[in-house]
Amino acid sequence: MPEYKGMVQPVRATPDEMRKIFAEPVPDEQKPEKAIEYLDEIRKKFRSFVVAMESCVKCGQCAENCHTYLGTRDPNNIPANRAELIRKIYRRYFTLEGRWFGKLVGAEDISLDVIEQWYSYFYQCSQCRRCAHVCPFGIDTCEVTFIGRQLLHWLGITPKLHAAVGGAMEKVGNHTGLPKPGIVDTLEFMSEEIMDEFGVEVEFPVDKPDSDIIYIPSSADFLLNPYTLMGAGMFFTYIGANWCIPSNVTEAGNFGLLFDQYYTQRGNVNRLLNAAHELNAKKIVWGECGHGWRAAKMYVPSLADRPVRWPLTHVHDEAAELIRRGELKLNPENNPEPVTLHDPCNYVRACGLNDNMRTIMNAVTVDFREMNPHGVDNFCCGGGSGILFDDPEMYQRRIQLSQKKADQVRATGVGKDGNGILCAPCSICKAQLYPMVEEHELGVHVHGLIDLLAKALVWK
Amino acid sequence: MKLLIGQILPYITVTLFTLGVLYRLGRWVGPRIVHNITLSPWPKTNTEVAIRVGSEAFLFRNLFRFDKALWFGAIMMHLALLNIIGGHVVGFGFLGEQFALIPGLGISPELSTEMSDMLGTVFGILLFVALLYLLFRRLTLTPVKLVSKPSDNLWLIYLIVLVGVGNIMRLFHDFGVGYEQVRDYIVALALFQPVTHMELLNNGFFLTHYLLVQILLIVFPYSKLMHLFGMFAERWIVNRVYKDPAPGMPNIDVAAARRAGIGIPSDDAAEEGV
Ligand code: HEM
Ligand code: SF4
Ligand code: SF4
Ligand code: SF4
Repeated sequence: MPEYKGMVQPVRATPDEMRKIFAEPVPDEQKPEKAIEYLDEIRKKFRSFVVAMESCVKCGQCAENCHTYLGTRDPNNIPANRAELIRKIYRRYFTLEGRWFGKLVGAEDISLDVIEQWYSYFYQCSQCRRCAHVCPFGIDTCEVTFIGRQLLHWLGITPKLHAAVGGAMEKVGNHTGLPKPGIVDTLEFMSEEIMDEFGVEVEFPVDKPDSDIIYIPSSADFLLNPYTLMGAGMFFTYIGANWCIPSNVTEAGNFGLLFDQYYTQRGNVNRLLNAAHELNAKKIVWGECGHGWRAAKMYVPSLADRPVRWPLTHVHDEAAELIRRGELKLNPENNPEPVTLHDPCNYVRACGLNDNMRTIMNAVTVDFREMNPHGVDNFCCGGGSGILFDDPEMYQRRIQLSQKKADQVRATGVGKDGNGILCAPCSICKAQLYPMVEEHELGVHVHGLIDLLAKALVWK
Repeated sequence: MKLLIGQILPYITVTLFTLGVLYRLGRWVGPRIVHNITLSPWPKTNTEVAIRVGSEAFLFRNLFRFDKALWFGAIMMHLALLNIIGGHVVGFGFLGEQFALIPGLGISPELSTEMSDMLGTVFGILLFVALLYLLFRRLTLTPVKLVSKPSDNLWLIYLIVLVGVGNIMRLFHDFGVGYEQVRDYIVALALFQPVTHMELLNNGFFLTHYLLVQILLIVFPYSKLMHLFGMFAERWIVNRVYKDPAPGMPNIDVAAARRAGIGIPSDDAAEEGV
């Protein structure tokens, strides 16, 4: 399956899996017609989409600035061409020039083949917004693929991975399908680990009523990135916070942003706010997850369906603020290894976290080396927007998509002695980079930023 | 021919251009900015927004940062174009004597006309060369070739021809038209008076240049040239003021927590005498 007329494609969810996330697949013969109908609906709603469709001058500047084109040299991975996959249809059906001049201006009739192209190339885009950042007009191809993926979802085409994540979220409130007893067990185990390794007593309160702060960890931190969650626990304990983790939302991610910004994303937002309401919390603090933080910070206001009483901040914002005020005693010598920082795209181009990450980094490490380019100009890890597909064809693509990142890490020289740290404070970045640092033999370990902060805390 | 291009078409052109642009802009106003998709780092005030958008619109900041060669070609082309459009308005309006009107410079009307001629010639050639460069780039650089549609190349060729004819009129005076002729013609058009008897309409180069401009204006609203407005519409979405919520968590007193030794196992704490 994961190939269609020479295009790689992620494995798709079965009709039953689609129904579990409340989408009814459209039969193939009706897909083209329905696609036009849905596209018409959406273009009348989103100005971001219409302006992106009608303003590109094809200057080509975005090409060399997208890691997917750099890694694959596939023409359809040039942002302008990726957007063109839907623009050619938009032109044909919704503009006069498309109807009059057809091929001359690149208009094309809809067909199943076009829809399959969408599926292949909209799911190679990691929605990192580097194209928007470099485009002379700010044309945001990420926004175009958001809408392309939305159309695909309504047609019943969603990757198995994304649908499974959506289903698990619906059922237990996280992506890994971990139920409350499992959460509590894991957290107890983490407390013991912290005691063994750092000699401090840290408790992880769950569902504690009247907590001042609820902390939303990425569920991957329970299994794959334990040091990030342990680090958050140590941080909140160190500062004496009245905090807890709500068992109903143990997920910083929101895949709704990535495949269904209507039902799924809105549902997750309301699930979060209900949890804050029930625990009578005063503030919501977010864990390390790039797209999830964007979905929370930038989309809660427009999806909440109610006044939002809880200020939302990222744990990096809070840690950086305390560092600036000189309230944390830190020993950077605890992190003696050479470190480089991979800026999660969503943090730097959609959430403004650039400076705060560096405030923390500089305070907790001794040998921090910037990548080139870094910060807001940084390239994506190649896994963004959840394209962490494991089937052989797509996995091969992931290696290509991470090529640029690998070159960047190598150029910093942190992995020369095999003890370097690649700090990537986002769950998707981590999941992409764990295997990729091996594939590219970079000589680094992947860590979160809170991991490093916790190690540097001086307790007495 | 003279009647059509010189007398009738101009009114049609102006009407179609205006309605077309309004129609297109109307299509952008209907849909809303649904979610906040500003690009960070965010401007914190409207002045910062204006600086950001202004530097993109007039200096092509992003092109400069990420592709110097394209920046150079693009800024030359647009700068020359801007001056030529301005030159057409001012030059015909003041018959080339505009610089003499600036007080304190002591420029004579003759000198002003000469300067006007000079600037027109320079920018005309600059525009022509810049367009050639952009076409060359479009036909040779792989990524640009890959994103081009036939219409992208055609637009450049069209402009090259349009500008080429204009340059011929300027460089070879036999083929040119006088400032005065044009002014009288425009005035007559504006007053809805007959113009077909006018001498400049016997000039084939002028008719061609004039026809090409009118066709351009009619097609403008349905073409990539709408990026003139599209750029501001897109920037209005992705460059807006955003203010971060203040950091600081409720009921946090780090100093007190550290004094109380929170997290330090009690046997340790006893040793320390806490
Ligand atoms: C505020 C006004 C404008 C801005 C900021 C602007 C900006 C740009 C930029 C950044 C590009 C891409 C670079 C390039 O390909 O050269 C471009 C291309 C272009 N612009 Fe403009 N432009 C403006 C007005 C106009 C106008 C009024 C015209 C009308 C004739 C025009 C004609 C073109 C053409 C033909 C291209 C394509 C060049 C190519 O194919 O390489 N522009 N513009
Ligand atoms: S940089 Fe912007 S205008 Fe240029 S081709 Fe890419 S999307 Fe189009
Ligand atoms: S959002 Fe990122 S991956 Fe997608 S087209 Fe733009 S630069 Fe490429
Ligand atoms: S996975 Fe990480 S690097 Fe990649 S898009 Fe998300 S935040 Fe960007």
